[in-house]
Amino acid sequence: MARRRSSVRRAGAARKITPGVLIAIVALVGAGALVFTHAGRNAGLVQSTMQAGDDGAAVAGRSATGPLRAGESVFDRIGAMWDESARIQRLEQENRDLRAWRDLAQRLAERNARYEALLRMPRDTFGEGADVEHSIAAQLVLDSGGPFMRTLVANAGAVHGVRVGYIAVNENGLIGRVVSVGQQTSRVLMLDDYNSRIPVLGEASRVRAVLAGQASHPPELYTAPFQQQNPRLDFIVGAQSLREGERIITSGDGGLYPRGIPVGQAHRDSDGSWHVSLAAAQRPIDFVRILPYAGMAAPEATATPNEAPPLNSTSTVASIGRNTMAPPPTLAPTPAVARPRPATDPNAAAPPQPLQPTATQPAPVTAAQNHPPAQTPPREPTQTPPATAPAASPAGGAPPVGTPR
Amino acid sequence: MIVRAPSRSVLRAWGFALAVGSVILPALPLGGLFAQPPIPLAVLWAAYGWAAEDESSWRAPVTLILLGLLHDQMAGGPYGLFPALYLSAYLIGRVAAVVMSSPNLLSLWGGFAVTALLTVAIARVLAPLGLGDNVSVEPYAEAALITTALFPFVRPLYMSAGSASRPQPGVR
Repeated sequence: MARRRSSVRRAGAARKITPGVLIAIVALVGAGALVFTHAGRNAGLVQSTMQAGDDGAAVAGRSATGPLRAGESVFDRIGAMWDESARIQRLEQENRDLRAWRDLAQRLAERNARYEALLRMPRDTFGEGADVEHSIAAQLVLDSGGPFMRTLVANAGAVHGVRVGYIAVNENGLIGRVVSVGQQTSRVLMLDDYNSRIPVLGEASRVRAVLAGQASHPPELYTAPFQQQNPRLDFIVGAQSLREGERIITSGDGGLYPRGIPVGQAHRDSDGSWHVSLAAAQRPIDFVRILPYAGMAAPEATATPNEAPPLNSTSTVASIGRNTMAPPPTLAPTPAVARPRPATDPNAAAPPQPLQPTATQPAPVTAAQNHPPAQTPPREPTQTPPATAPAASPAGGAPPVGTPR
Repeated sequence: MIVRAPSRSVLRAWGFALAVGSVILPALPLGGLFAQPPIPLAVLWAAYGWAAEDESSWRAPVTLILLGLLHDQMAGGPYGLFPALYLSAYLIGRVAAVVMSSPNLLSLWGGFAVTALLTVAIARVLAPLGLGDNVSVEPYAEAALITTALFPFVRPLYMSAGSASRPQPGVR
């Protein structure tokens, strides 16, 4: 009888939910709700907890990998000794080739500089709008660690002046953007993360595209730390002009990234899609520079009518004081002899003005203030084109702002 | 010379260390070899094995929650994603342990493969909620595949092939 009672109890117990299962079910529902409500990522408390965790994990990670990193260079040197002679021969050959390329590049650069001077072309500067002079140096201490995200943790945080939105670069190019900042660390969203979408530009073809991270994992095993995958190029405007191996830079569209930061080289796949081999991933990413960048305000927000444009020394905007093209016929009918420009042209005859950039260098702000008012009255309402003038007149014929006609 | 087989508790300790290592190692700057994938999701082994072995204890789910939160922290969030995946593996493992009346290596392996596949499906639902529509579960699926392929080699660390310690249908 006792035996029968026992078996009945056992059979009934099998249908009971054990504490472990109960805990698991409750926790599963809670975890799902946390993710579903986005509270697992965006809530203030969660965000600060995660940043504090990053700070602690960064210290632990740095300590744990320190000896290993130190040993890496030793093993690399030992490994390099095996094929030293072959490597030297290869490097000498490469050096000879590079010398020839250097001579050619120098000649082309000189010629290009002359063309730019003739055309008064503004230069492509590195990271236009970013405060390059006050960049923050940091070292990467943690990888993303998961299959869903591609982020890195740098050991510079709020106490070092890092803010969300700052740009992370290394000596080769763009790495990503700071998306979260703790006291001592900051998390950088890498270019090959699925959520990374940045507007880019072909440096030679000027083709614009969106660089879309995909974080796919090809069969190769990358042995370099912080190795980045090759992001995809989407929404290419004028893709036929894009060239194999062309340098890709940030275009600055959208205002999240400054313009002119090297991203990588464009490569076409067999299926016709374009990828970018990231410049930052040429070597293991270790030290980074975090560039302060606050984006650019929309013109509507900063419009100050009747004032000269706020040019500064880091801008690539060139204010051209001398007309480089014929004015529109409606404003100033040009006779057939107008090209080359006659010496009586007041703009051509005018002495070099401070607002004019010298060669390709844009003019500083103080130049406009030092300019004689009789020749260039930048604050004179009658001389300054009205705000609606550019819209009313053809784009090519609109006079440069702040310059006399 | 007689070599004694390691005890069950020692094997379990090694299994736990492997699970912790699979969470922490990909976060350290040790190179692509230690990324995830190819590093397997050892916590899935632990969840499945503990579900089969650890019948009613609260320790297994609590440990899985903590490991999941640690993984979320290392991966940059969102909190809750990895705990949900690991706990679902645990619950699926609980069901599978009851269903499999005569477990052997093949059925254990098959059960784990189904468990891993189901976690991929759960990740497919949850990951876009927490990380946006652009996220892909492909790397997670790759890691789950590698984890499934390696399961027979690490099985002794998490569960025994015998059915003695596993619950049978209708019997405890």
